[in-house]
Amino acid sequence: MAELEEVPTDELLLFHDFPTTHNTTASAIPQYINTDTANIPNYDEFAEGKGNSNDSNDSIDQPNATKSFWTMEYFQQFFNVDTRDVHMRIIGSILPTNNSTLRTEMRERPDLYGPFWICITLIFAIAVSGNIADYLQYTKAEWKYDFHIVTYAATAIFMYITLIPLCLWATMKWSIKSINIDDFPEQMPNVLELICIYGYSLFIYIPASVLWTIQVNWLQWLLVMVSAILSGSVLLLSLSNILKLSKHKIVLSLLIVGFHLLLAAGFMLYFFHAPSSSSSTTLVPITMDKIINIPKNVSESHK
Amino acid sequence: MNEARLEMMDDSSSYVEGEMTVPSSKTSHLGKPEFNTLDEPIKETIMRDVKAVGIKFAYVLFPKEKKTLLKEWDLWGPLVLCTFMAMMLQDSSDTVNENDGGPQFAEVFVIVWIGSMIVTLNSKLLGGNISFFQSVCALGYCLLPTTISLIICRIILLATQTYFLFFLRLFVSMAGFVWATYASTIFLGDSQKEGRKVLAVYPIGLFYFIISWLVISHTN
Repeated sequence: MAELEEVPTDELLLFHDFPTTHNTTASAIPQYINTDTANIPNYDEFAEGKGNSNDSNDSIDQPNATKSFWTMEYFQQFFNVDTRDVHMRIIGSILPTNNSTLRTEMRERPDLYGPFWICITLIFAIAVSGNIADYLQYTKAEWKYDFHIVTYAATAIFMYITLIPLCLWATMKWSIKSINIDDFPEQMPNVLELICIYGYSLFIYIPASVLWTIQVNWLQWLLVMVSAILSGSVLLLSLSNILKLSKHKIVLSLLIVGFHLLLAAGFMLYFFHAPSSSSSTTLVPITMDKIINIPKNVSESHK
Repeated sequence: MNEARLEMMDDSSSYVEGEMTVPSSKTSHLGKPEFNTLDEPIKETIMRDVKAVGIKFAYVLFPKEKKTLLKEWDLWGPLVLCTFMAMMLQDSSDTVNENDGGPQFAEVFVIVWIGSMIVTLNSKLLGGNISFFQSVCALGYCLLPTTISLIICRIILLATQTYFLFFLRLFVSMAGFVWATYASTIFLGDSQKEGRKVLAVYPIGLFYFIISWLVISHTN
């Protein structure tokens, strides 16, 4: 310790007044700066990263790249998909196949492009075709469209797409078998993967909502069953690896399919279905009128 | 231990010198007209901006050049179009007890502005090289075909409605939708990489489709 010469720290920390213009005497003195590369551990990596920064894909492709939440790059990694990827994922969400490469790729590289735009499209598909269905059911002379279906559909869909994956994730956290955590820590899903899987599973309801405008009762219910079972089975297939870890896998799978079916049935009944009870509700005032009128007539006839 | 020698030397005469004049030579070689905005009548200033907006409208109607609309963006045109559409489309609440199911003024306004912002953000997130306001400007100006279709639909609505007139309105608003999508694709399509063009164009199409749906659904 005695060998070290005493550094005048106080002097170094003081604020100095530097002249704003470069005066010639100061600038003429060359400054020696020690650049010891060993002091910077990631010097090489840093330099390489700089060199590759032209290709923005490189930095996005790294799966473990940690970026600040408030930068564009952080969100760009969720939109790092090509047309082909989205196309394949949509097809994969309709057809239940045993091909697991797509599912593993989806878990490794979950995107938010598909879920977001599928949700928006579904909202407006329901709003447009719901209005058409309403028009077809309408019997009175004047019909006005209802813009505010958009609000109801948006609420329902965004609730479904966020709350269900969150609940599923929380349930998985709670009910996971304790032995398996040590064996497969990477198997534990994160919320983003679940939202991605759920978002793509909603795609089938877009063509279904267009076809729901056809006012045939059994066809509407058939569409509900077919679409919910198709995408529900894909949902179960892609979640099967995750559900295996849970203690309550049967209950969870039943709940997942149940909610999916409930969503489809809810859409159909609320936005597209001609209420069969409408005849009874229109009958009520008539019968009430009759009931009220009869005593009057009776009383008049008595007079 | 490496030693790098950093020379903090400056050119010998380092005092800032210059003349306090308007650098007219710089603007002229960019091809812009040479003008001095300080001592011109206010009418000329306004007319120049109006003319710039009008030229942009013309580019949307006949989309040929790609860069002109984007180079000098402004939000006047979008504001005018959006306000006009919101006024025309809004719910006419003459009857106090029941609204007719149409959107409110603010709802149309929000759909147009937030919608174009979301579409822009989407293309930025996909890695497109275009500035935020350039894209919002192009999307806003491309509302012009849908606005024209709205005006035509309002004129058609004056007559007594038949099925033929409904299909005419449908055709007009769909033409506006296709035109708007085509024009905005020309202005914004180049900003994306080859494999992602469809991903960027689809939300644009959806945006104009929603607005065209509002146009066709509007009946008073």
